[in-house]
Amino acid sequence: MSPRSISDLALHDAPVVRVDDTVEDAVKQLVESQLPAVPVVDQSGVYRGIFGEREFMKARFPGYLNHLHGTAFLSRSLDDSLEKRDACRHEPVGNFMSTEHIDVGPDFADTQVAELFLHHQVLVIPVVADGQVKGVIMRQDFFRAIAERFLAGGTAA
Amino acid sequence: MTAAILIFVVALALIASERVDRTKVALLGMTAVVLTQVSDQEHAIEAIDFNTIGLLVGMMLMIRMTETTGVYTWLAIRAAQWSRGRPLAVVLALAVTTVVLSAFLDNVTTILLIVPITFLLADALDVNPVPLIMIEIFASNVGGTATLIGDPPNILIAGHTGLSFGEFITNLGPIAVLTSIVVIGGLYFVFRNQLHITEESRERVMDLDASRSIEDATEARRTVPILLITILLFFFHKALGLEPATVALAGASVMLLVTNQDLHKTIAGIEWPTLFFLIGLFVMVGALEETGALGEVANGIASVTGGDRVAELLGIIWTAAIGSAVVDNIPFTAAMIPVVDSLGGGTDNAYWWSLALGACFGGNATIVAAAANVAAVGMAARAGHPIGFVQFLKYGIPVTLVSLVMATAYVMVRYA
Repeated sequence: MSPRSISDLALHDAPVVRVDDTVEDAVKQLVESQLPAVPVVDQSGVYRGIFGEREFMKARFPGYLNHLHGTAFLSRSLDDSLEKRDACRHEPVGNFMSTEHIDVGPDFADTQVAELFLHHQVLVIPVVADGQVKGVIMRQDFFRAIAERFLAGGTAA
Repeated sequence: MTAAILIFVVALALIASERVDRTKVALLGMTAVVLTQVSDQEHAIEAIDFNTIGLLVGMMLMIRMTETTGVYTWLAIRAAQWSRGRPLAVVLALAVTTVVLSAFLDNVTTILLIVPITFLLADALDVNPVPLIMIEIFASNVGGTATLIGDPPNILIAGHTGLSFGEFITNLGPIAVLTSIVVIGGLYFVFRNQLHITEESRERVMDLDASRSIEDATEARRTVPILLITILLFFFHKALGLEPATVALAGASVMLLVTNQDLHKTIAGIEWPTLFFLIGLFVMVGALEETGALGEVANGIASVTGGDRVAELLGIIWTAAIGSAVVDNIPFTAAMIPVVDSLGGGTDNAYWWSLALGACFGGNATIVAAAANVAAVGMAARAGHPIGFVQFLKYGIPVTLVSLVMATAYVMVRYA
């Protein structure tokens, strides 16, 4: 029997949120699940995107932040006066999710997962089969699984 | 000739509709021109104005390398702090910075630099950012009119005619400055009630630490002087016997040599879509010219005006303005250039200044009239302040009319 792949070891069940759920609900899910991002599905359960720490920050902080070249000139005293977009609380999460599909199919290789983590700097990769989310792989777990195997001197799967 | 006209008109309509990206439209149009053998490949390549392309590439590279140092953010923040949060001074600081930057950088870059900072300042000062953004859009289009490198229509005209940087600034600079004053002053008056800034929030601009916006001071010291020297050289390019493209590319090459920035990232910072858009456009316009279509337009105009100079000057300004407002001032100017060329117009080049004024000022009328408007409105929407097409028109049309009337008066007084 071949040893389980690292990605299998790192596969994590994940709650999903629906595109029409509010940002507030999605953030609750994020906090409760302790995942850095959760997959977003449409009404029929098909995977549409991902909503996580980055997307939440984009929704919550001023929309022009992305366009500034740097923000080192900001001081703490200004934090209160900069527009915090609280209105996003009741908006559908679909408006803020990332639709850049960085995911893997059911039959993925560890190398593919490693390549995605390296190239896209994401923290979570959803595993999707026929449009349905089967779980997520967290970078942290993936790293721990490789590190444990590496330190144990075992061979890679 | 019919095929060339058909291709160009369909392309213009598609660009104006904004359903398809203008670069894709231009490349398809160019392909259609060559595939249908309206123009053969050799002529198509000859039609591309490499002086324009070279000038743009050089400027884009230098702007890219200087903007990563944070020097423009520093400039905008210093200007805002100079205003000390007083409403009129805030408007002046932002508008004058925009006018000056857009005269020497391209308008889209100016807008991309100034608009995000403006949102931040508006937040800190607790005012609606939209009036400030609108003023900046208009200031960038008017300011860009002043120089050869300030606005794409001017670059196109210079590429075709060989008119010098000095000739542009001495002929267009005065009216650009005058129009800026009137437009900025007028808009401040219109928006003044929306620009109440409390004493408390005025203090907040002083909390910004401009010096920390310089991300790499050594890099700034290496690159910014080269940009300044290049701009200085533009003033003397004719005396030195150098084309603007040569000056810009020389500056860019030296800057590439001294910079520590990654070459691939810098070159990737060139706005390739704009360059490919222009290439496609040059080929389509070249076909129109080659088949004699634009000559007929010129003959048509000449027969209406009877060769009357005043009528032709007026015709050029207002046609260019209306065409630019409806379509996009770049393709419209590209098509107008051969027409104006065949009209002649004498040694004072008044026809070219009229074309530049019409096309640049016409860029203020609608969102689609100039690329800078599209960029600013897009950023505003992403920042949660959508500016509607009609809302823009409410200010764009009056601004355009006032500036065109001023431009017309200027041309009449100085050249007619």
